[in-house]
Amino acid sequence: MDFSILITNFWSLALDGIVVGAIYALVSLGYTLVYGVLRLINFAHSEIFMIGTMVVYFVVGLFGFTGYEDPLPLYKFIGMFLLFAVAAAVVSGLAAVVLEIVAYRRLRNMGASRLSSLISAIGASFFLVEVFRKISDSKNLDFPRLINKDPFFTWGTLYLSADKVLVIVGATIIFIILNAIIHHTKLGLGIRAVSQDERTSILMGVNVNRIISYTFLLGGVLAGVGSAFYMVFYETTKANVGFLVGISAFTAAVLGGIGNVKGALYGSFALGLFQQYTSAVLGYNWRDVVTFAVLVLVLLIKPTGLFGEALQKARV
Amino acid sequence: MSKLTASSFNLRDRFGDWWDVATPVQKGAFRVAIIGLFYALPLINNPIIDTPETSFDSVLFYPLIMFSLMAVGLNVVVGKSGILDLGYVAFFAIGAYTHALMSIHTALNLWEIIPFAMGFAMLAGVILGLPALRLRGDYLAIITLGFGEIVRIIAINTDAIGGAMGITDIPGPTSIFGIEFTVMDPRPFYWLTLTLLLLVIWGVIRLSHRKPGRAWEAIREDEDVAEFMGVSTLKYKLWAFIIGGAVGGLAGSIYASQIRSIQPELFTLNLSIMILACVVFGGMGNIWGVILGAVLLGYIPEKLRFLSDYRIIFFGLLMVVMMNIRPNGLLPRKKREHFQEKSK
Amino acid sequence: MTKKLLEVKDIVVKFGGVTALNNVNLHVNEGEIAALIGPNGAGKTTVFNIVTGYYTPTSGDVLVDGESVVGLRPYKIARKGLGRTFQNIRLFGDMTAAENVATAADSLNKSGLIGSLLGVPRSRRDEKEAMEKAHELLKFIGLDHRAHQMAKNLPYGDQRRLEIARALALNPKVLLLDEPAAGFNPQEKVELGELIRKIRDRGYAVLLIEHDMSLVMKISDRISVLDFGQKIAEGKPEEIQNSQRVIDAYLGVAEDAS
Repeated sequence: MDFSILITNFWSLALDGIVVGAIYALVSLGYTLVYGVLRLINFAHSEIFMIGTMVVYFVVGLFGFTGYEDPLPLYKFIGMFLLFAVAAAVVSGLAAVVLEIVAYRRLRNMGASRLSSLISAIGASFFLVEVFRKISDSKNLDFPRLINKDPFFTWGTLYLSADKVLVIVGATIIFIILNAIIHHTKLGLGIRAVSQDERTSILMGVNVNRIISYTFLLGGVLAGVGSAFYMVFYETTKANVGFLVGISAFTAAVLGGIGNVKGALYGSFALGLFQQYTSAVLGYNWRDVVTFAVLVLVLLIKPTGLFGEALQKARV
Repeated sequence: MSKLTASSFNLRDRFGDWWDVATPVQKGAFRVAIIGLFYALPLINNPIIDTPETSFDSVLFYPLIMFSLMAVGLNVVVGKSGILDLGYVAFFAIGAYTHALMSIHTALNLWEIIPFAMGFAMLAGVILGLPALRLRGDYLAIITLGFGEIVRIIAINTDAIGGAMGITDIPGPTSIFGIEFTVMDPRPFYWLTLTLLLLVIWGVIRLSHRKPGRAWEAIREDEDVAEFMGVSTLKYKLWAFIIGGAVGGLAGSIYASQIRSIQPELFTLNLSIMILACVVFGGMGNIWGVILGAVLLGYIPEKLRFLSDYRIIFFGLLMVVMMNIRPNGLLPRKKREHFQEKSK
Repeated sequence: MTKKLLEVKDIVVKFGGVTALNNVNLHVNEGEIAALIGPNGAGKTTVFNIVTGYYTPTSGDVLVDGESVVGLRPYKIARKGLGRTFQNIRLFGDMTAAENVATAADSLNKSGLIGSLLGVPRSRRDEKEAMEKAHELLKFIGLDHRAHQMAKNLPYGDQRRLEIARALALNPKVLLLDEPAAGFNPQEKVELGELIRKIRDRGYAVLLIEHDMSLVMKISDRISVLDFGQKIAEGKPEEIQNSQRVIDAYLGVAEDAS
């Protein structure tokens, strides 16, 4: 193990950590929002993200890139990005809504046990992964390089490139919009009301099923946007991409205190940074083991997360 | 009207009515007939039940009887105690690796290794369970899912146990009671596993009808209340984990001794989910339902080849559909009630 | 002097910033039916959740037969002699009535899982005793004809009584009843009152949370009144009935307005 890499590459690892953290944040918000209204982990959320990456791959494929072109000029790239990001957001958002109706709604209205909902969601998750595994023939789907990733700014070992700037700036804009939705719209009020107390919300005339649908939609859209950033940064996807991103994003949500929107952001950046530093020392193939260890430790030591809203026991 | 359809479909109750009035001789004959049928399956192979691509004998061993054994083990955890374990494959992998490594590096044979395989799997159950079982259901599911994947990733990244290439040239079992175990003939492995399955069923049924079974059911029904009624919920959840783990380890060791070479890729999350699907499909908590589920889900994709490529898609879909329309599975665990006139 | 089987001493419970119980003192004497009353949200069920170990108090102590149980896990407290029922019935629905009761009875014997698997004599004996006890308690409570029916399929009143039988299987020093008469008609309430007395006569002390005042007044030996997490009165039924403080609490008269 070489710890000196932490010193020499400190800033470049930090930058990558923030970029990865921003992508995790977009996915982990979906976990946290849905948890807020359902008090249930949406197991299939990672597949909503995976569907987003597939849409991005497909949309870009329509333009016939071979991967050997020169990078696009910036304005063309941004146009392209907006196109596939919106497409991914729309498809992921709708997929999340459909998922909720198929896998959760009936069970919820029947008053089925949590176990039933979990199993149903897990079934849906596997169904989706395998459908896309068949479609993609179990291959890694490589994404053409659309943007010049050469660093345009260098400071020591810190290399700033356009893709990283795009992710950070883009994600920041999304977070600002999300904050506005949650705090300044009727939908946000509804989500907060249901998260606080579902029963009272029903009494107050909130249509809980509709709020839950919108929450899934919101989570799906965020995951779709996240998948667009992911594709620009990593340039590859495959059917089980959701699992790896999902477990990180979920860990981030728990780290920040699941159900807590700000917590999901902090947790994502903290985890992104931690992963980069530990992977630099241990090697990238141990990244998921490290992530999992973080998840276990947080759940055992402080299940309410670092910034946690209390995960209350069911009331007796 | 709904009453009519309900009763006409309720084969289980019909059978139960017969079972209640059957004489011990009839019951014994029925048991012998069913068990005998299972033992005879490799011998009565015919075109109707034969499988097109893989030989019927090897289908009987894997997936059919292996799935059954694992499903019965997982059922103790998921069905009896209501703990969603998504990493069950880890116990299977631990059993398989135990046999692979010990049979190569020590002079022990399968029969001597089985206790170790079960023991290590049980130990893993304790190590995973002690911290994880304190958590609520959905967290536990994620933790176990992660555990299953972590065991596999560690196996891939650890060269001492073969890394991604796995382990080859694993010795098979030595002959026992005059039965030879060869690479070419899966039938003795099927009979061996069937015999062990019967033993496990015997044990699980015994436990189910006694104090541990009541404790597990109480935990499944309402964990908080079980605790208020003096049940040490952590202890019994841990036991469920340990027993499930032991059965998984047992299955893994036999599996490794039959296929003779193992790789981490044999032990993916998909296998955990397939076993879970067997439990869910057959009827969580009902041992006969679970076996029925394993037999059907093991056999159907082999029989209908077009399904086997889409196996996981089908299994995933099945889980969603079952939860939505028949959450208690094909054979629900519903106990038969006995009504008595009020004695006044 | 009478023995105090359950003592709640200076209990304070805070959830976040909200004080649910503030310096509450209660006790239950040997052989008595004590009642805990108060308006909705006064903190009565919280008292049960504290003494049975579901919540840990912010400060204060709980003694069962003179022994502190604060910090013990609920199953240990249950075995020390506290059996409880629930405001919203919480039976093990998919188990039979007899199994519900036997589950609680089981927890008092030391038979382990290995013993059950092997069928050692001790396990067989414990098994037999738990089942006998279950049937005996069902008979006591008048449900012996329902022994092999699923708890979820029992009529409402029988479910309430089954909860009591299940709690009694713990041989509790104190039986905690959380609104046992909820949903009962007048006739059933009378029968319940008789049952609770019968339970007391069998040697169990009872702590009762109940909204039905006529029932409480009729069967209780001593009544404590909670309001906004504080004990505002304690005494014999007649004293409580005539207490202006209690009447105000029930009528919702604000303290500063009096």
